Parts: sequence; C-alpha cells; structure tokens
Amino acid sequence: MKKRYYIVLLRVLAPVLAIVLSALMSSIVILAIGKSPLQVFYTMFKFSLSRLDSVAIMLYNATPLIFSGLAVSIGFRMGLFNIGVEGQYLIGAFLAALAGFSIKGLPAVIHLPLVILCGALGGMMWSFIPIFLKVKRGVHEVISTIMLNYISYSLIHYLIADVFIDKSQKLIQGLGSILSRTPKLSPSAMMPKLHGFLGLFGLQLPRHVYLNWFFPLGILTAALVYYLLMYTPFGFELRAVGQNREAARTVGIEPERVYVIGFLLSGALAGLVGLSDLLSYFGYMDMDFPRNYGFDGIAVALIAQNHPLGIIFSAILFGFLKRGAEGIQTLMGVPREMVSILQALMIMSIVVIAKLMNDYIKRLEKKEEMMVCSSENSSPPA
Amino acid sequence: MDKAVVLRGITKRFPGIVANDRIDLEVEKGEIHAIVGENGAGKSTLMKILAGIYQPDEGEIYIFGKKEKITSPGRAIELKIGMVHQHFMLVDRFTVLENIILGAEKRLGIALDEKKCRKAVEELLSLYNFSLNLDARVEEISVGQAQRVEILKVLYRGADILVLDEPTAVLAPQEVKELFNNLRRLKGEGKTIIFISHKLDEVLEIADRITVLRRGRVEGTVLPSRVTKEDLARMMVGKPVMMKLDKEPVNAGDVLLSIEDLVVKESSGKPIVNGVSLKIRGGEIYGIAGIEGNGQKELAEAIIGLREASSGRITACGRDITGLSIKEIRDLGVAFIPEDRHRQGLVLPMKVWENMMLGYHTKKEFLKGKSLNLKAIRRFTKNKVEEYGVRLSSIEQPIEGLSGGNQQKVILGRELSREPKVIVASQPTRGLDVGAAEFVHRELLKMRKKGRAILLISADLEEVLSIADRVGVMYNGKITAEFRPEEVTPEDIGVYMLGGDVKAGEGK
Amino acid sequence: MFFGELLASSLRMAVPILLTALGAVFTERAGVVNIGLEGMMIVGSFWGALGAYYYGPYFGLLLAMAAGMFMALIHAINTVTFRVDQVVSGVAINILAYGSTRFLSLAIFNMATTSPHVSGLPKINIPVLSGIEFLKPLVTDVSPVIILALVLVPISSFVINRTVFGLRLRSVGENPLAADTLGINVFKMKYAGVLLSGILSGLSGAYLALEHTGMYVEGMTQGEGFIALAAMIFGNWEPKGALWASLLFGFSEALSFRVVEGGVVPYQFIKMIPYVLTLLVLTGVVKKSTGPAASGVPYERGLK
Repeated sequence: MKKRYYIVLLRVLAPVLAIVLSALMSSIVILAIGKSPLQVFYTMFKFSLSRLDSVAIMLYNATPLIFSGLAVSIGFRMGLFNIGVEGQYLIGAFLAALAGFSIKGLPAVIHLPLVILCGALGGMMWSFIPIFLKVKRGVHEVISTIMLNYISYSLIHYLIADVFIDKSQKLIQGLGSILSRTPKLSPSAMMPKLHGFLGLFGLQLPRHVYLNWFFPLGILTAALVYYLLMYTPFGFELRAVGQNREAARTVGIEPERVYVIGFLLSGALAGLVGLSDLLSYFGYMDMDFPRNYGFDGIAVALIAQNHPLGIIFSAILFGFLKRGAEGIQTLMGVPREMVSILQALMIMSIVVIAKLMNDYIKRLEKKEEMMVCSSENSSPPA
Repeated sequence: MDKAVVLRGITKRFPGIVANDRIDLEVEKGEIHAIVGENGAGKSTLMKILAGIYQPDEGEIYIFGKKEKITSPGRAIELKIGMVHQHFMLVDRFTVLENIILGAEKRLGIALDEKKCRKAVEELLSLYNFSLNLDARVEEISVGQAQRVEILKVLYRGADILVLDEPTAVLAPQEVKELFNNLRRLKGEGKTIIFISHKLDEVLEIADRITVLRRGRVEGTVLPSRVTKEDLARMMVGKPVMMKLDKEPVNAGDVLLSIEDLVVKESSGKPIVNGVSLKIRGGEIYGIAGIEGNGQKELAEAIIGLREASSGRITACGRDITGLSIKEIRDLGVAFIPEDRHRQGLVLPMKVWENMMLGYHTKKEFLKGKSLNLKAIRRFTKNKVEEYGVRLSSIEQPIEGLSGGNQQKVILGRELSREPKVIVASQPTRGLDVGAAEFVHRELLKMRKKGRAILLISADLEEVLSIADRVGVMYNGKITAEFRPEEVTPEDIGVYMLGGDVKAGEGK
Repeated sequence: MFFGELLASSLRMAVPILLTALGAVFTERAGVVNIGLEGMMIVGSFWGALGAYYYGPYFGLLLAMAAGMFMALIHAINTVTFRVDQVVSGVAINILAYGSTRFLSLAIFNMATTSPHVSGLPKINIPVLSGIEFLKPLVTDVSPVIILALVLVPISSFVINRTVFGLRLRSVGENPLAADTLGINVFKMKYAGVLLSGILSGLSGAYLALEHTGMYVEGMTQGEGFIALAAMIFGNWEPKGALWASLLFGFSEALSFRVVEGGVVPYQFIKMIPYVLTLLVLTGVVKKSTGPAASGVPYERGLK
C-alpha cells in the first residue's frame, strides 16, 4: 500500500521536474545573449511576487488560461485534441461583445450573465463545426480546428473592421482614419473588479489592475469540471471513451454522443476565455485583442496533466511567467519571448517526463501484481 | 555433425516473472523439433530470443556449433534463422513480392531491382512447389496464403533454421495438412524446423522430437513414438487434465434468442454474415465452430448491436432487437463477453471498480441523484472480487496490472451478475491458462443451469464440443451444418469448416 | 497575358506549399505526423534571411535547411525516441519556432517583426521559351528554387516508390513491427523521414524570405505549413498528388489577389479561401483516401 503513495508522489513530481528541466534548458538561450540566467529568474520572481499589485496582475493573467486549460483538457480527456480553442474564444468574445454593445438599457444583473452566456454560445457554435465534421464525415479534429482558427481570424477581422466598426469614435489627431474596433460595451455588461471585495480584507489594489470576478469564477468552473469528470455518469463516460473508445461502445456508451457533448462543453468553456480581458480591460474588441490563449491552454492542460484542479495552479504559473516576462524585458532588456521558448520547452519536458514516469509506474504496478501471483502459486490449492 | 541450435542455461526475466528459467535445448540439423507448452510456459519468449527480439539475461546460444549472440532480428537473419510469427508480420498494403523482399532487396544502385527480386522469388516458388500470386496485395489473400508468404520471406533470406510459432492456430485441418506437406518438403531439402504448438495431435504427427516446457522450464525432450497424448498433456500441465466437464442435463426452456436470415455486410458491401438462422432456448449452450474470419465475430457483434443488420431479424427475450441501440439491447438482458478483452472488454488504464461498473454506471443502484454513488460501486466491486476470486492488490489498481485470467473474471463479474437472459460469449477463454479457462467454463455452465440462453463462439473445437449442447459450423457467413457434440468428431467438423469441400486447399 | 501572369503567380504561391508538402509526405509515410511543419517553415524563413543577410543567399538557404532540420530533430527525439504524442510535440515545435525567432530577431536585428532587406538567388530566364509571349511571365525571372521544387517532385516520387530506401520507409509507416523483425532499423527510417520534412520545410521558409518577399517578416508563413499538410492529404500521400494540390491552393491564393484589385469580395474572405477549401476537401471532395496504417502511432519495441 506504501507503493500507492509513492506513485502519487511521482505523479505530482512530474510537472515540477518538467518545470525545472525547461528552466535549465532555456538558460542556454539566456546565456547565448550574454545575460545571467540566475539573474533573469531572480528578476522574474522579484518582479512578479514582491508587490501586491504585481501578484494581482499575475492572477489576472492566469484567469483566461484557467478557462482555456479546462477547455483543452476536456478534449484530451475524451481523446480528442481541441487545437481550436484559439478560434473558439475569439468567436465567443466577439459574440459577447456584440451582446455587450448592441443591447442597451438592461440592468447589469441580466445584461452581464447574458453577455457571458453569449460568449459560451459563440465558443460552442465554433466548436460544433469540427465535431460535426468528425462524427459525420470522419474529418480529423486536429486539421479541421487548425483550419477553423485561421478562418476565425479573418472572420473576426471582417466583422470588426467592416461590419460593426465603431463609427462614432473621434478621429485621433494626426491619423487619417478611424480605428478598427467595435463600439464600446455598455457599462452594464462589464464584469466588476475584485477591488471592492478585497478591500473588505484590507487589501488595496491600484486602479491599473484589472483582476476581476472571472478569476474566482474560473476556480469555481475548475471545481465543477472536476466534479463532472469524477462524480457523474457523463464524466465517467467521457473518460472511458477517451481511454478506450471501442470498449465504451461495446458496453453501450455512444462515443459519438459523448464526443459531441464533450466538445461543445469544451467550446463553451473556450468561449469564456477572452471575456476577462473583454469585460474588464478592453470594453470593446479590436484588432489587438489578445491572441494565443488557445495555444497557451494546451501547455496549461499538459502541465496539469489534465487535472482540473491542477489547471488552476498551472494557469497561475503561466500568469506568473507572463508577468515576469514584462519584468525581464523592462528591467534587463531580455526579450519577453524568452517565456514562449520556456513554454515550448515545458510542453516537451512534461510529455517526455510523464511518458517515462508512466512507463515506470506501470512496471511498478506489474511487479506488485506478479508478487501477488507468485504467493498464490506457492500456497497449496484450496 | 554440429547441431543446428544448442541452448545452454537460457534465462530471461521480466519484471516480476522468470519467463525462461535455465533452458537447455538441442535441435539436430534437418529435424522437425516441436516445442510444446501451455500459454505462458515461455515458448514465445524463447523463440523471440532465438529471433533476436529479446536478449537473454543469462545463458549461451550455439548456432551450427558456433557460440553466438543474437543481438537483433538482423543478426538472426545473418545466422540463417528465420522466424514465422503466429501473428503474421506482413505489411497489408504491400504486394506479396514486396513483403517477401522487404529488408533483403536486390539493388540497382539505390533503386530497387524488381526484376531480379521477382526472379529469385519465382525460383523459390518452383523449388518448394508453392503457389502464390506475387502481385496480389496481402490484404486480399487468404490466411493460408499469408502464411506461405511468411515462410517464403525467411527462405528468401536463406534461412536454414525455420522457427514456426503456433503456425496451425489459424488454419483449418485441411490447410494444416498442406502446411505439413510443405514442412516435410523443406525438411527434405535439409532445413531445420522448430515448431511451436500446444496442439498435441499435430505435434505427435509432424515432429521428430518434442520438448515440453512448463512454467519457463524444460520438462523434458521425448520422441513422439514413445509417448501418448495424455503423457504430453501431463508433462505440460503438471497434473492430469480434466478433459470432461460435469455437464448436467438441463431441460431446455423457451426460445430466448432467435435469429432469422441475418445478413451483415462489410463496409465494402460484401456480406460477411450471409443468412444465418438459429434459435437458442433457455438452459442451452449453442456453440459456433469455424475458422476465424467466417463471420462469427460479426454475428456476435450484430446481436449485441455493434453492427448493423442489413436484413433479417434478431429476437431476444421475446422482443425484436434488430436496429436497437447497444444500450437498449443490453438493458433487455443481453450480456456480451467480447473476444478481445483489451480492445472491447475493458478500459485498461481505469481502476478495477471503474471497469466493474462500465456500461452499468447509469443503473439506479450506482446513482445517488444524478451523481455516481462511488460507495455503492466500490462495495459491489469488493463483493464480486471476492465471489469470483479475482487476485489483485486493491480495487483502486488500474486493471491493466491484472493477469488475463483475472481481467476476464472482472468482465464475467460485470456481465453475468445482472441476471442476463441471453449471453453472447465470443472466444471467452482465448489466451487464458487452463485454470482460468476452466473457471470460465464452469461459470457458463452455471448460467446454463440457471436457464440462460448462451451463444458460445470459439475457435477451440475441443472447447465447443465439450461444453455446447448443439454445435453449428460457420463457413463463409453461413451456418453450414449443425450437430449434437456426441454425434461428431473434430475431423467431421473440420470438413464443414472448409465448406464441405475436402479437396480445396484454401480456407476462404 | 493576364492568364500567363496568373499562372506564374500561382506557381510562385504554390512553391512553398509544395516544398513543405513533399516534406510532409516523407514524414507521414514513415508514420510520424508532423504539425510542426509550420514552425519549421518559420525558422527556415528567419535563419534563411539571417544567413543571406550576412553571407549571401546560398548560405541563407543552407542555414534555413539546417535550422528546419534542427527543429525536426527535436520532433524526432520527442516522438520516435520518447514516443510522446506527435501532435503535442508539433504544437510545442510551433511555439518554440515562434518564440525563438521573435526572441532572436529582437536580439539580432533589434526588430521583432522584420529583418532588413536581403537579396535572393540570381533569377533565371529560360531561353527559347521566353520568346513565346504567352509563356513569358512563367519563364522569365524564375527563382531557381521554383525549378528545384518542381524537379523534387519526380525525384521524391522515385525515392519513395522505386528505391530500397523508399520501400523501407513505407514499410515502417505501415507496419513497423514487421519491418523491425526483418532487420530494418525502424528508428533510423523514422528519423530519416522526419529530418527530410524539416529540411524541405526549412527550404520552403527560406524561399518565402529570400525569393518571395526579400526579407523575413514575422508570420510570413501564414499557416502555409498547415495548408501543406492538407495538400499532402489531398494528394493522397504521394508527391505527384501533393504537386497538383499545391498548385490548386497556390492558384486560389493568386486568384484572390486579382479579386482584391477588383474589390468586390471583402479581402478577409479571400484570405479564408485556402482554409475553407481545405476543409471542403477533407469533408467531401476527397475520395476514401487513406494514410499509412501506422501513422501517428509511436513504435515501441517488444510490444505487440
């Protein structure tokens, strides 16, 4: 039974090892441009963690990643690769923005939930295409979601720049044309910041911090996903399909049904990814709306080994890295793309380490079984 | 004269198990040497060591008198050892010719010299009097032909020692005869043949000498003229095998499963089950014998709803179940023991208790509101594990860590404990050791006694004949003959397994 | 004249897709899925420009191929040696390519998104043919890389289908266990397939930077690595098929620029064409095309 704990320890250790290993490897890049890795990492820690507002920014950075990590992990859990979170969140954010600026005069208690719902709906719609193509026509979801990402970029561009462009904006001095962006969202559609709530505990956040209620909502969502996966029949079906589709089918679970529901769920979560930025910082959608959260989500999910609660931590880790990247760029002149390199190396390390560790654990468990067997053989038959 | 193969003290350990324990073996040049043993006795491991796939932990190997280390499959080929695997190692989408020459191509610069390759293979064909279409794709040819491709592959590489791993497992009795003729011809040309099997009749017929393995050790080497089948069986198992099962007479009840004119088509549109009709009553075991690939698997899958019936009707427990979903069919009381445990029966990385509720996870007793009642599921699993004597360290263990027999017990526990009325068991004892197979048989007979209707599909003729009340032979998608087991011999059935045409050499 | 020019620009657009698609054929036939092709093109475009900037276009091309191969080596180590999920590794390759080029571009050129202008290889005029008015745009000022790419099609086809190497490469993608038992070094063949895809993608990236644009621009690959993947599928895993598919995608791209000049359809929709076309191709137009049987499945020795 001791071995059980040992195995659990190994499972927890895997991401830690991966992080350390990738930090070591990225040190080479830092050395190559003549900086000291130790100083770079020290600066990252100091910059991110020494001040309250910095920590809050880190959590703000982590917020979209919780949702995208969850969206990707649901795909992984059922054996599908949702590379399309990227496009799904852009479409979701646009639909939320549309509901935010086109509807006026609703009280916030109705408007805000409606806007969030629209975000989820947008992500869901965009995830329906690849899963429909997969279930009905056998198109591999990896290829179709990649194509849909590119299609969504152009579509959003078109919608923002041509259809819903804000014609009321004032011309900025010296620029001949108006900016490509949507009208501003109604105040009733915006998500309140956490400042007031934290103020109750004597924590004062400055105004330039946009940490908002999407962060606690993300944690709650992670908990709900965990419950869904581990304690409900559908979650069980989803995991069973992910680990052996044929066996699941044989016992009466319809993998296609699970795929569709699971993927729509993944898309709905993806639709929430961009909302923290949209409904607190931006207040409108423009061509500079943040990209790549979908791909970051892949890294977040992998580091957390697709565990919903682990995703909270790995999202915060990536929020920390992003904050730290700003630190090393401003304070040390190290390009912030350092962090992209680190992130890529982390993905590779975690999958390699997890693979090696799983093989090792499997061997351990086999051994356990064999010991039981041999004791069975040595005892006289009953 | 030097011996072809000499093994001295070969030991191979895997984590937690000694697969080969100080094996000594001598194979004379030009003989057919059979190696027999139960599943798990270490035959395959030994052969993989000879083929260079595994490295022994201890021991020495002499090939034609010279001490050698067989470090890779390539080295084995250099030493003129050729392996004919039980599961064919063929590239389905390549032609027969491409498969034979792969890895030993004749070259023209960097290019493939196809003409020269073809000529060399054709010479071999005429030397050993084999017939094969070199341009057919492997996916299109019969099992017997595929086996010939495998044999040619090693001959083409100039093998003098041929290792055949369970070569008859997939063949019909008549195809076996043809294989044996071919082997004798090869022996006549001076080749040495190592023949692995657990079918005692065949071994006694073809082998010059027989070595018996048991639990990784050599039990002894004997001459076929000096031993009986029972002697060999005793050496293999270590205790007298019980060939006859206690089968009480049971009064057959109502018809619980009835199939009328069932047709199941492959995706290509070719009918794979072609008009099967049968009726099974409660308290009756209906056995289906036949060479694999004649529609048995598809028949089972059609009953359970995994495959669509393109025409015909299936009735279970008095209801027409044609076209119903798998879940609906299972809910009506049809249980399924699939032939491929790992692919269809279990979710290997999941825990034992999770596998125990698989498919029944929406049953009332496992739910609390809309959530799973994990406590009830664990309790149920513990009971079943105890009842069936599943050996494990914890029900939290992933099921992949259990042995095949224990995994099958979990499936039985899951499928049989819900009082199904109809049981479809497809190759339920495949890959199990004697003890576990016996257990499965006892459980099926228990179900029979309880008045269930059981469809037993098995490639093991002996199993079908000893346990079933009626036996149907399936050939080419049809049930071509039906017997009571006491009326027939395995040979009679063999004729029907080949479609009644005794002279035809091909299985399909 | 218009038509000739359209064809010429289609060809120019098709070449990067084609080169990468040829690479995709090699890696897929060896049974390794490589969605990192896009990233390998990115490093090709950056390192190609870097090499050309300092030591001229020939060096640039070589450096680009080496950079592509280096990324492919990482992919091969991940997927063949450590047998991790091939799509995950591909995603990581793409992120690594994106991050490292931006990082280096800032560190070296002091500009994150572009390099200074670089010159390409000397252009070729094909004699005789350039006298024909209709063909003129097609055969004058042709980049040697275009000719190389076209020549590589029959060569790849020959290598894959008619050589010992090709037979073994395919066997590894179809049934690695069978190949292994015949003494074929499965790992070596898989490495070869993946590395070839890296070299060709690197070359393709260099073509974009040196021959097509004259500088490195961030994001210049525009997802062509993924379109190349689609071209390979459309072309049924054969070099010749990949050629026709690449030409089709190149043609649609070239046509889209002509339409932009007309200004009837919004520019963004024209940008979608290759992706939508690819989706349509995957959904219906493709007849039951099937890839290598063991594609995407890591091979592990000693397992059945």
